[in-house]
Amino acid sequence: MDPDSVAWITALRSESTTRHGSESRLHRLLMRVAYAEAQRRAPLLPRHTIAEFDDLCTQAADDALLAILGKMDDFQGLSRFTTWASKFVILEISSRLRRSAWRDRRIEWDDAEWERLEESAPGVEQRVEQREQVAILRLAMARDLTERQRQVLTAAVVDEIPIDVLAQRMDTSRGAIYKILHDARVKLRASLMPGQGAIHSPETGRAL
Amino acid sequence: MNRKLVENLLRTEDSDPGCEASFARLDQYVEAIIQGHDGTALFPDIAMHLQNCDACREDTEGLLEVLRKNIAADQ
Repeated sequence: MDPDSVAWITALRSESTTRHGSESRLHRLLMRVAYAEAQRRAPLLPRHTIAEFDDLCTQAADDALLAILGKMDDFQGLSRFTTWASKFVILEISSRLRRSAWRDRRIEWDDAEWERLEESAPGVEQRVEQREQVAILRLAMARDLTERQRQVLTAAVVDEIPIDVLAQRMDTSRGAIYKILHDARVKLRASLMPGQGAIHSPETGRAL
Repeated sequence: MNRKLVENLLRTEDSDPGCEASFARLDQYVEAIIQGHDGTALFPDIAMHLQNCDACREDTEGLLEVLRKNIAADQ
């Protein structure tokens, strides 16, 4: 373990005054990282989220500090302590920024976007073909996926809702949503690309 | 058909370790890159996950930026 990391760990595990001072120092570091990440993402964020930067960064630093202090035993010195600590606050602030950006947007757990997609091709012939292709995808999803898998896959891929936002609305974690997506994709691939080649309709054998 | 949409519906790898397992070693992955190593060669499973997971990839870009700009340096 590098000397700076040893110093951090020693200070954060020491008795009262030294430990409190180190926690404050770590919190300031986490705030700097949170602000830097918020600023980096600012061009893609709505105004109301940018106006909340102070609160969001403070919450992210607070929660990251708690997570870090609770996982100190996991730190093995395979990276610098400051890098290890920074990843926690990056996760906290990025999730908060995405959730804030989507705060006023409703999520419709329906097929409206699929229906819009069916009609989105420019010409009549392309529209007919697109309808058929969308129908193949929806049929495979209806037949092979659970309702939850269909909802999450549609929301994440067709409606392009960030998985952190889905995790918040479904009261679960980013990792759990990703796992649902992964399992759904594995099933769809097995159904539509049994030989891992081109995508074919399981009903007609026609290429997508 | 929108090719990107179809790819997004189907892209996955059996050996994708997922968000939590990738997060556990993300600090090592970014330091390897900053030190000039081939992150994909050293951590192929994490690199694969980052290809498939937009949220983790964006977070990784942020963490790399923190290291490049030395934002987490002690002050």
